[in-house]
Amino acid sequence: MSAVLIVEDEQHLADGLRFNLEAEGYRVDVIGDGETALELLMAERGRYDAVVLDVMLPGKDGFTVAAELRQAGQFVPVLMLTARGRPEDVLKGFESGADDYLPKPFELAILLARLRGLLRRYEWIRRDRAHANLSSTAAEQSRESTSANAVAREPEDERVFVFNGKKIDFGALELHIGARVVQLTLMEAELLRYLIKHVGQVVSRKSMLEDVWGLHEDTDTRAIDNFIVRLRKYIEPEPAKPRHLLTVRGVGYRFVAEPVQPEK
Amino acid sequence: MQLRHRRQSIVFFISLGACLVALAVTLNVGWILLNLREVALLTFGIIFFGAIIAGLVLNTIFLVREIRRNEQHDSFINAMTHELKTPIASIRLYLETLQTREVNEAQRRQFYDSMLTDSERLLHLVEQVLRASRTGHRRRRINPSVIDLGELVRECLETARTRYHLADGALQYAESINQGGNNGARVMVRGDLDELRAAVSNLLDNAIKYSDKEIAVSVEVAATDDKRVEVRVTDHGMGIPREQLKRVFKRFYRVPGRVMTRIKGTGLGLFIVRSVVEKHGGRVFAESAGEGLGSTFTIQLPKAEG
Repeated sequence: MSAVLIVEDEQHLADGLRFNLEAEGYRVDVIGDGETALELLMAERGRYDAVVLDVMLPGKDGFTVAAELRQAGQFVPVLMLTARGRPEDVLKGFESGADDYLPKPFELAILLARLRGLLRRYEWIRRDRAHANLSSTAAEQSRESTSANAVAREPEDERVFVFNGKKIDFGALELHIGARVVQLTLMEAELLRYLIKHVGQVVSRKSMLEDVWGLHEDTDTRAIDNFIVRLRKYIEPEPAKPRHLLTVRGVGYRFVAEPVQPEK
Repeated sequence: MQLRHRRQSIVFFISLGACLVALAVTLNVGWILLNLREVALLTFGIIFFGAIIAGLVLNTIFLVREIRRNEQHDSFINAMTHELKTPIASIRLYLETLQTREVNEAQRRQFYDSMLTDSERLLHLVEQVLRASRTGHRRRRINPSVIDLGELVRECLETARTRYHLADGALQYAESINQGGNNGARVMVRGDLDELRAAVSNLLDNAIKYSDKEIAVSVEVAATDDKRVEVRVTDHGMGIPREQLKRVFKRFYRVPGRVMTRIKGTGLGLFIVRSVVEKHGGRVFAESAGEGLGSTFTIQLPKAEG
């Protein structure tokens, strides 16, 4: 049973959401302000599988809560709910670390579907991670026999991707660059995985929004750019002159695993 | 980000204005020095440059004021968006729930109650906005009748009590009409019943809204002298900083700071109070000992004969 935390100060909305999520079979807690929610989420890591976060909250607003959660290395999936639906608000939401964004008034069915999507992805990641732990213990016993162990659920090469001296561990949501380890958020990892799947091909912003986030409305596609900027910071030696994550003007992006020119 | 952008534009316009004024002053001085002997040219020049300088200063002041007003309007739109969309979201959520799920009788009743409250909240907001735009027009005549102010205030108190589900002690009412021992006298004013009711309710709403956890609001109706009557609403809430006491009555204005992000509002309530009261030939003012020390709002109205 998944546990969901609702952070919403409007009593009626909170009650309605609680009723529906409980009817869906989730364990639900409701908190009415940003500070308390942040304290609870920091204190009890792993207690919740997803957070439904309102933006206009008393005290700390939703943007701040999401940003501080991410800063503290808390990567519980966040679905942001807000009355502000302008493109710049959507951008701000994603920038602050939300995984998904839904403007009020929302359709109940859409909200539930989005939440299910987030929970499903989170579950996959966790299963991946558990699997990674399993296979790494196995690997200690018999080194270099990963191909045999990895048969279990997913092939090893989908869980870990190595390119140009960098290693992405999708199970642990980690990016290894030499000795440096960068913790990725759920959606950063999902986006990278998607780009890598289409390595060498041009991927449009729209298809990224549709396939990675499942967004089909006319959301401003520039939301993607923030993620790309962050990913570039991680994987590019010089983020201003990208060599792996190339911009294709007017269309989208292209991922190149091994750039042609040798690194200086 | 937008706010920083506006600040930048304000700074830009002020410095542009200052530069232009400085330039005009320099030209003026040059003109004076060059034409010291020619009295006619000198006088003409001084008047001409004086006009330019005055124009520039006025223009800069006007621009900065417009930018400010725009800013307030933006925050109003933001607040309105939230205040309109939240009850709609709630009503929609409950309707969809009732449509798609099995709901037991008690819950169904609770959902209906929530939806009713939300629709009332929406209606109240819409009325408030319409009233603000109506009272904003000075010319519009009021619809006068002689009103018992005491009765009107008591009625507003009763409405507020049921609306906010308050205990009996939370709202205190007192009447002091000390006029030659004439204790049974009533306080009468001439005015529009609906508008005066809105003004008093707005003050009450604010007193309740900006109270801390414990709500203790006292309302007093008094005949101060032969000509005027007063309604005083005192709360023990968060108070108002001294420099903000006058500004709170401006349209869309909300005291900046953390408190205002916690309590939602459109910045129309007190504007409506002031417009209504001024239209009735009275005045309204706020007093507060400071932040956290509560505040008192006083409406003074001319007394009606009879």
